[in-house]
Amino acid sequence: MRSIGFSTGALARGDFRGALAMMEGVQMDAVELSSLRVEELDALVDFGLSSDLSQFRYVSVHAPGKFAADEEHVVADKLRRLSARGWPIVLHPDAIHEHAVWRSFGAQLLIENMDKRKSVGRTATELTSVFELLPEAGLCFDIAHARQVDSSLTEAYRILRRHGDRVRQIHISDVSSASRHDRLSPSAVAAYQQIASMIPFDAPAILETPLLADLETELERAKVALGDTSSKLLVGQ
Amino acid sequence: MELADQDLVSILAARIGAAWPSIARARTRAAEVRERLAVSISDHTSEDTSLVVFGSLARKECTSGSDLDWVLLVDGAANAEHLEAALAIESHIQKVAPKGPGPEKTFGGLVFSHDLMHYIGGGDDTNQNMTQRMLLLLESTPVGRTEAYSRVMNNVLKRYVVEDFGWMHSRNPSNVPRFLHNDVVRYWRTIAVDFAYKRRTRAGQGWALRTAKLRMSRKLTYAAGLLRCYNCALEPSLQGLDRRDQSSAALPLVDFLASQIPITPLDLFARTFLTSDRLTQTAEPFFGAYNEFLGILDDEEKRSRLDSLQYDEIAVDPTYQRVRELGHSFQESLNAVFFSEQNHAEFFRLTKTYGVF
Repeated sequence: MRSIGFSTGALARGDFRGALAMMEGVQMDAVELSSLRVEELDALVDFGLSSDLSQFRYVSVHAPGKFAADEEHVVADKLRRLSARGWPIVLHPDAIHEHAVWRSFGAQLLIENMDKRKSVGRTATELTSVFELLPEAGLCFDIAHARQVDSSLTEAYRILRRHGDRVRQIHISDVSSASRHDRLSPSAVAAYQQIASMIPFDAPAILETPLLADLETELERAKVALGDTSSKLLVGQ
Repeated sequence: MELADQDLVSILAARIGAAWPSIARARTRAAEVRERLAVSISDHTSEDTSLVVFGSLARKECTSGSDLDWVLLVDGAANAEHLEAALAIESHIQKVAPKGPGPEKTFGGLVFSHDLMHYIGGGDDTNQNMTQRMLLLLESTPVGRTEAYSRVMNNVLKRYVVEDFGWMHSRNPSNVPRFLHNDVVRYWRTIAVDFAYKRRTRAGQGWALRTAKLRMSRKLTYAAGLLRCYNCALEPSLQGLDRRDQSSAALPLVDFLASQIPITPLDLFARTFLTSDRLTQTAEPFFGAYNEFLGILDDEEKRSRLDSLQYDEIAVDPTYQRVRELGHSFQESLNAVFFSEQNHAEFFRLTKTYGVF
């Protein structure tokens, strides 16, 4: 069974405590702790090191999406403390200034494929260039980014064909043409089903949908999108 | 190196000890024009817009008299600034190639992805829309940002595959995408019909030059379209695809078709000649005829003569007569590729199966 849960950043931006409170009572066994801004990182590290998150089978940490070159070592050192708990670190490839800083994370580093606004990490070919510099890193396959880059999903197919063995986590949501995350629409669900069979079944799924609907329904939609036939939405039909 | 980045014509020429200088010159000129365009125009393209060029520039067959057909392809939210970008591009292009798009106004301006993707067949698929879509698939290349171009291309190809009932239901053992193939054939027939239309509406003006292009470059584009479809039957990675999961079965074929788009028609044929020993003997007459045709187009005097020739002059005009002979020679070479069981049994079988009915 695939672990599934939410990103704290999607639910409550920098308020990860508030986001975790929203998740209470919801059937989910994965969480991604997000510090999308550098300023949030210290609080997240303190929280991560002191909190009991044993209710989750899978925990990952999303690194800040942007930091200055002279902050890179400090950011990496802080994230390394969370990585030491066995939590993978999800990193945007366009945030990297010096790949050597991140190489020591080894397989604990997950590179996320990017949306169309970015200039790196969007396509299978661009990801190949990143993985040449970070050979042990895994892939956080953001299915919505891949669909935004190419709505035919041909590029998603190429990414999974070429880098599918690196996929260790999934991001799932819908993404608008303005690159804003949105809840899963029926067309997004139908589209994702086209490539669901190519996604490793044991890769945990993290929803990045904003809090516009109840979490349970959104989780079930994500399960359907990823080909889980046991979803309550299908069973109830 | 990607197949599309290789000069397969030069590789073939070296293999068989031939020289096709007019083709080489046209390729050099095309590379120069593309470079100049990229420098001046890249800033006007974006993640949602691509400058797409067609015709001789896309085929890498630029001669001294080549025109420049282009569109600014939009795949994203509507934006009033798109028109300003198109006007700026037009201004730059006029400096690079004074001879712009033809009087039908099929090119030169904004084109929107929704029309290309949604109107395949039916009353909304106008002559202009079909021409833009088919040339996008058969002879186009982006200059500057490529994202919108690639996205639209993949989506159009996916429509042809997903809505190909026979292919999606494994009732097409040859793997040829029949819906796409039919549209390629329809486009060729439309060109031929429009040829007669233009002869009438333009009172014969430019008829001889259009005849030469119909017999050579336009036929090459069409024949390369057939190759793109028939190559699906030869591609090992497409054999034995599991089509029970219909939602995902289309993507490998879309990916393969998309991978062939950047390969020019001449390079597609060069690859065929390089990989089929029995066709090697056809390479010289095929490329020899085409090389001479490009040489005539590159000769300003001869091109101008063809452009102004009247009906009653053609019987005694040496340039026209030579182009006519080249057309016949080129056609014989195509016959040797598609209609000879001895030369290529699979192409022969596919042409018989799909070519007419």
